[in-house]
Order: sequence, then structure tokens, then C-alpha cells
Amino acid sequence: MKQKFFKGFAVAAVAALAAGLAVTPAQANKNIVVWADETRGPNLVKTLAAKSDWVSGYTITVKSFANFDALKDAIDKATATTGPDIVVGANDWVATLAKNGKLAPLTLTASQRARFSASQFYDLSYKKKLYGIPVDVNNVAMIYNTKLVTTAPKTFGDMVDYYKANKTSKSLKAGLCVAGGGMSWGAHSVFSALGANAYYFNSNGAINKSQSFNPNEFGRNVKQYLMDGKKSNGFFPATDTGCKDNFLAGTVPFAIIGNWEWEDYKAKGFTMNLMPVPGVKAGDPGKAFGSVSGALLTTFAASNGVEAAAKSLLVDFFGSTAGQVAYQKFEKRPPAEKGAASDASVTDGQKGFGASAAAASVPQVGAILNGASGSKSYWDSAPAYWTAVLVDGKDAVTEAKKLAAIWRTNLRGAANDI
Amino acid sequence: MLSGLIRGKVALFIKIALVALSTAVLLTLSQSAFAKGEYVIAGFLFIVILLINYTYFSKRTVPLKFFLPGIILLAAFVLTPILYTLVMSTYNYKTGNYISKEEALSRIQALALEPDANASAFDIVVGEFQSTPAILVSDINNNSYFISTPKEKIALDATKVEIDEYQVAQSAEGFTALESGDISSSAAAKKRYFFDGTYFIVVENLNVGAVFRQSLEYLPEQDVFRSLITGDIYRDNNNGNYVNENNQDDFLEPGWRDPSWLTNYIRLFNDERVRDPLISVFIWTVVFATLTVLTQFAFGLLLALALNKPIRGRRIYRSILVLPYAMPSVMSILIWGGMFNTEFGAINEILGRDIAWFQDPTFARVAVILVNLWLGFPYFYLVSSGSLQAIPSELLEAAAIDGANPRQIFRKVTLPLLLQILSPLLIASFAFNFNNFNLIYLLTGGGPRNQLDGEIAGATDILISYTYQIAFGNNLQDLGLASAISVLIFFLVASISLYGVRKSKVLESFS
Repeated sequence: MKQKFFKGFAVAAVAALAAGLAVTPAQANKNIVVWADETRGPNLVKTLAAKSDWVSGYTITVKSFANFDALKDAIDKATATTGPDIVVGANDWVATLAKNGKLAPLTLTASQRARFSASQFYDLSYKKKLYGIPVDVNNVAMIYNTKLVTTAPKTFGDMVDYYKANKTSKSLKAGLCVAGGGMSWGAHSVFSALGANAYYFNSNGAINKSQSFNPNEFGRNVKQYLMDGKKSNGFFPATDTGCKDNFLAGTVPFAIIGNWEWEDYKAKGFTMNLMPVPGVKAGDPGKAFGSVSGALLTTFAASNGVEAAAKSLLVDFFGSTAGQVAYQKFEKRPPAEKGAASDASVTDGQKGFGASAAAASVPQVGAILNGASGSKSYWDSAPAYWTAVLVDGKDAVTEAKKLAAIWRTNLRGAANDI
Repeated sequence: MLSGLIRGKVALFIKIALVALSTAVLLTLSQSAFAKGEYVIAGFLFIVILLINYTYFSKRTVPLKFFLPGIILLAAFVLTPILYTLVMSTYNYKTGNYISKEEALSRIQALALEPDANASAFDIVVGEFQSTPAILVSDINNNSYFISTPKEKIALDATKVEIDEYQVAQSAEGFTALESGDISSSAAAKKRYFFDGTYFIVVENLNVGAVFRQSLEYLPEQDVFRSLITGDIYRDNNNGNYVNENNQDDFLEPGWRDPSWLTNYIRLFNDERVRDPLISVFIWTVVFATLTVLTQFAFGLLLALALNKPIRGRRIYRSILVLPYAMPSVMSILIWGGMFNTEFGAINEILGRDIAWFQDPTFARVAVILVNLWLGFPYFYLVSSGSLQAIPSELLEAAAIDGANPRQIFRKVTLPLLLQILSPLLIASFAFNFNNFNLIYLLTGGGPRNQLDGEIAGATDILISYTYQIAFGNNLQDLGLASAISVLIFFLVASISLYGVRKSKVLESFS
């Protein structure tokens, strides 16, 4: 019986080997692997199909993921043998991935740095080291429906007055809503317009590590513009549910939209009238987060033996005028690189969002916004404020004080990381 | 007929072919796992290969031939995750402490480079000089050129280097450039080239070199890092980080996942930020599971009793009642979520009210119970219907002859008999709902939670969704703590299930 077992095993083993197992000898890697999401990935493939020799002697492989969350999940779980050399991802991934040893820093020359605005490097830095190249600008801006509103509002109060005057006659469901970016990222310009920035800057451009917003002033503004006694006056909904549909249906006159959706609005007949959310005083608009997506260098590039080549790809393709123009021809977002942003090929939408960002924006600093020293991150606490005040009817000033305390503690907690 | 055909040599051939195919697939997977450094998985797969071959080529293992696939799948997909979770619960495994200590050491050393005051960077060509790795450096701002090796810097006469239109040197006498495609993987790309004694040049990319100095050195004998700038010592704090001896807030990143033994379990009881929400979540989990089972059973039984009578259209009613069970629960939950929407939901439209279902803790809990009732009553309707028909009609007739009214018959005869039959199912349902993650995650996300007051757990969070919140709910993940809670849940559910099995005397019926 033993003989039969060994005979059988031998036959099975031979068959297994015949099935095609072969160990190939290791060769020097000359392929740079880039991971991207479901839109950026295919657009990178198209760009690289048109011109592939961005790094002499190396090929580039792009792997696309089903969506942004799948990409994030994959990079979180990536190991030295499975991970990419570069991942095109969100700026707020930087702090976490760097902490977890997934990202490697890169150094740019002065001329390479000069291709970008200095604030864009905030987004991709952690503990004073740069982990990627800004690829495209992600921002929101306010759009108004010209069938309802003929002239651009100058102050926040102008919008509220319009809403109150026309609420019934025009069956308005809200005055201003957030259609892009959610109630934390997308709504920062509303916080800011009413007096609550997530953080402030010194005159030298550095983040002020001790200043936070004045909760009394902000709370009073919320009461004045968004409340009717203890209830919301309906001008600004606490959630973004249905905002886009309502705006497109003409039942909301003002909406905050993301630049990635501009083409959709354009296709539905909207023309360019983007602007920042006006502040309580004319000429002092709310600042939206002007964040960038980054092409991030991973630590796997070194273990894959292509770190220097991957850095060259970052600088010579992702960070060059030619590279960003070629890529944004397909991706159609505002390019981060200055030369590409001013190129004749950028669309009106890319220019409009770029102009709005230039008028009123604040860099997105992940080390502060992701931090939870104050028990909650900016991302969790910001929407909670709208819910507490506009839905639950809690006192706007009292809740603003809690919010200010959380943001202040988070700012202090991130002081060493920025 | 078929079994008659598949015998003798044909059967042997099919057996060998199937085993060979399994062996080939598993061997490929094992080799792939081995190549990727997943030695445990590779080893497990190899053992499986041996087991399969032994089992199906030996006559001593006839019962095992039937059990082996199940045993392998049980080991791979049930026991292994439980063991892994158990092990991870004894680690400080969270954001910032994610990789192994070896990887962390390597990363800290790679990050311990400090640029010079000007963050100087030069155009370079990577190659060899006198059979030594070297770089040809162009300092365009100062119009100077030099070759740098790991040990020395050799100044070049500008007239003796070949430069391109950007004033970047491309070649020099005695210097051999590497092909671009060979640079990244070459030893030359990993060298540190002499600059001025303190600072050195590293190959930043294929054409640029940057000037750095080493800011930390690792002393392996003492397992400490020493700052070469301040002299500070960073020591292993036995919790996954090198911490500055003089300043506990100053630590090196990344950290590593370090064994913390029972620390995560102790935190469950000692850390009030973890303990307090855990207690409230546990209470709600028990209430949720109990109410769910009671309401589903009561409603299902009520319908079963109603349709147990011969009424017109009974088949149609029965088919309709089973529909919620036939529909994928994910779809049902999302549709119910829309119907409970405060502004646009059908329920508020019907009620003519403006109830914030998912913002108010009580309403959110009611919504959760109602939706779960919708999802679960058809199951209990089906099992109750079956059980009712299994109760001998003689018992009911005897009770009636003895003078019992219908209510008494139900209370004294039908219900006790039903409970005897359905007890295991009720207990299993309780255990299932104890971990009903889908419902909570898709309907309320565990909320509402008052973030501004620092609440971690939401009003509708059950233990498993709270665990998910800790593990993956935000940017700062605490996988070690989440694993500890998972182990706690495992023991709770296992206890409930064991109790159920004993109560229903299932095991005894086998013996």
C-alpha cells in the first residue's frame, strides 16, 4: 500500500510540475508600477499610450482600482512584494501612510519646487518631509443659478435675504447647500465665511500654532444667518443629501460644487459663474480647502529596486508642465503645476475653479485635520456641529465653543508634525 | 449506471488527475506565497498538499476522504482568523505602529537624513570612475564640476567636461556613465558620495543628487538611536517606539507593532474612554438582540397562527409574506434608510411630521428595530408555520375536550411545544443579531453620536460596529484594541451558542 501511495504521489507531483511551474531567475527591475483610482488610472494609461518614454530605460505600468476606497484599502494593505512604486492618491493619506512607513520622502531642487505654489507642498508633507508631487487641484467653489439669481451676491447676508424673500414664491428647498465635498471638506468655506477657519496663518505664511477661531463671533453669525430662533431657517441644510438634484432642479439658488463634477453641470446647461462663498462682510469671502491630489512615492520603490527611476517619473512626468498638460487633457482637473495651469489647453472649468481657489483658499494640512488629540478630527467634528445646531437645535455659541476647543487641541497636537 | 462506468482504471485516472490538479494549483499558490515572504501560508499550503495526497492515495483514510475538504476550509477560514485575531489582540497594533520592528528600523534609518541649509541638489550623471561607483556632478550656479566617489571629491576643469545645452556635464575623462535603465537597481544608486566630510550626496533620482548629512545613528548593541546633532538618545519604550530619554513626547516614526500582552484587555476595563462606551454599547447590543428576536418571533408566529387556518387566498398571502426574506437585505436596508430620511423620506411624508429619525438616539433605535423586524419576521413565520403543523392535532383536540378555550390551548399547549421546537433557532437568532453588522452599518452607521462631546460610540452601535469604528472608522486605527473586543465578542457569542446547544439538547440527541 505504501508503494501505491508513493506511486500515486509521484504521478501527481510529475503532473503538477508538468502543469507549468517554473522559477524564473531574478532580473533587474525596469518597470515602474503606478496605482491609481478608476478615473485617474485609465487617464494615465491614455496619457502614457500617447508618450511612454518619460523615464529613459524604464517602462511604466498603471494599475487601476474600482474606486478611491478600494485604492486606499489596497495601499493600506500593500506589502514590499505587492506594493506599487507610486500611488496617485489624496493628500490626507500622507500623514497616516508616512506614520505607517508606507511612504518615502523625496527632495526637489529649487527649480522643481518653483513649479508649484508653496502652499501645495503643505498637503503632501509630514514632519517637514515631502512625500509626493502635487498633480491636480481639488477644490470647491460656489455656483449660483442665473435663472434665479441675476447678480452675484456680495455678502452672505445677500444670499440669506434672497432665500427668505423667495422661499415660498419660488418653492425653494434651501438657499445654499453643499453638493461637492461633504459637510466637512466641502463646507469649510461656509465655516470660514461665518468666521471659523480650521487654522490661521501668520504673515510669513507659516501656520499660526496657537490661533483658533472666535466661537462667540462664529456662533452669533450662525444664529443670525442660519437660525430662526432655536430652529434652522432652512437656508443651509445640515447634510448634502439631494443638494445637486435640488440645485439642478432650480429649487436651491446657491450650491458649493467640486471641480471634478464641473463637466456634468456644464452638460446640464450651466455657464461659468463660479465664485467663493461670500463672507459676512463684502470682500472677505470664505476660504475653501484648496487641496491637491498627489503622486506619492512609496517605500516599496526602494525594495523593488526602482526608487531613483520612480523619483524621476515623479519629477519629469507628474511634476512637469509637459506631463501635467498631457495628463490633464484626459483628466480635466485644474493642474497643480504652474506652467500647466496657464497652458492654453486648460478648459474654462479648470480655469474657473483655479481662479476661485486663487481668490480664497486655504491649504489642506492633513497633520492638523486628521489629528484627533481633541477627541475628534476636523472631519468628524465639522459635520457634527451642523447636526447639533441645525438639526438638534442646540445653542450655536455653546456648540461653537466645543468645536473651537476640539480644533484648538488638534492644532496643538499637530504642532510638531507641521 | 454512472457509478458503474466510473470504476477501475477510469476511476483511478480521474482520481490522479483531480489530485494532480489540486496539487498543481496549491503548489503554485504555495510557491507564490513563499516568493512573497508569506512563509506561514506557504507552509500551510504545502501541508495541505501532503495531506491531500496521503488521504486520497491511502486505503487507511477512508473517512478522512470525506472530511478533508471541510477540515481544510475550516482551518483556513475559521480557525486561522480566530487565532490571528487572538494574537493581534496582544499587540500594540495601530496607526503609527503598523509594521515590524525590522521594517521600522530600516525606515527610521532611511529617514534620518537632514538636508544642508540650502537644501542643495545638483544635476548628476551616475556611473563609475576608476572602477569605483561615482557620480559626475554639475554645480551650475557656481559653474563648477566634480566627480564624487564614496571616499573623495575630484574637482574637474570646466573645459575638460562635455556639457549639454543646460550646462550639465554629460561625460568626463575616466568617467563611465551607466545606462539610464541600469541606474536604479545598481549599487551606485545606493552609495553615499563624498561632499565635504559632514555632508554627502545621495542619488535622488536618475539625474539629480541631493546633499544630506546623517542625523541619527543606530547602536545595535544597546538597541538605541543617537542623534548626531543633539546627542539625544532614543530608547525602545517596549511599546513600539524609540522615545527620547529627555522628552517622552519626542519619539521616532514609524513605530512598530510590539507585543503588549494583555494591555488591550486591561484597557477595556481600566481606560474610561474605552470602558464607558463599551458598557453602554454592550447593554444596547443585548437589548437590540433581545428585542429583535422577540418582535420577529412574535410577529412571525402571529402571522403563522393567522394563516394556519383555512382562509381564502392563503397561498397568495404566504407568498407575499415571504417576499421580504427573498429580497437581498442590503437593498432592503438601503431602501428603508431612504424612507426614514428626515427631509425626503416616505415615512415622514405619511406621518406628516418632521422626525429626525437618524439624528435622535431613541428614534434611531426604534428605526433599527423596525427595519430588523421587516427583515426577520418572514423567517420566523416560516419556521413557526412548519412547527405548528408538526404539533399533533390530537393534543389540541384533547385540550378542547377537557374544556380549554383557544387562548388556554395556545398558552398551555401550543406555545410550550413551539418553544421546545424553536428554542435553538431563537438562541441562534439572538447570537446572529448580536453581530448584525450589516444592518447597523448600512442603516445608521452606528449613529447618531455626539461628536462634539467626544462620544466614540453611537446610540445604535452594537459591539461589532463599535469594533469596526475603532479598527477602521477613522484615520487613527487601533487594530489591537479592536481585536481584543472581537475576542470578547467571540467568547460571548460562543457562550450563547453553547448554551443554546445544551438547552436544546442537540448534542445528546446525537449520542
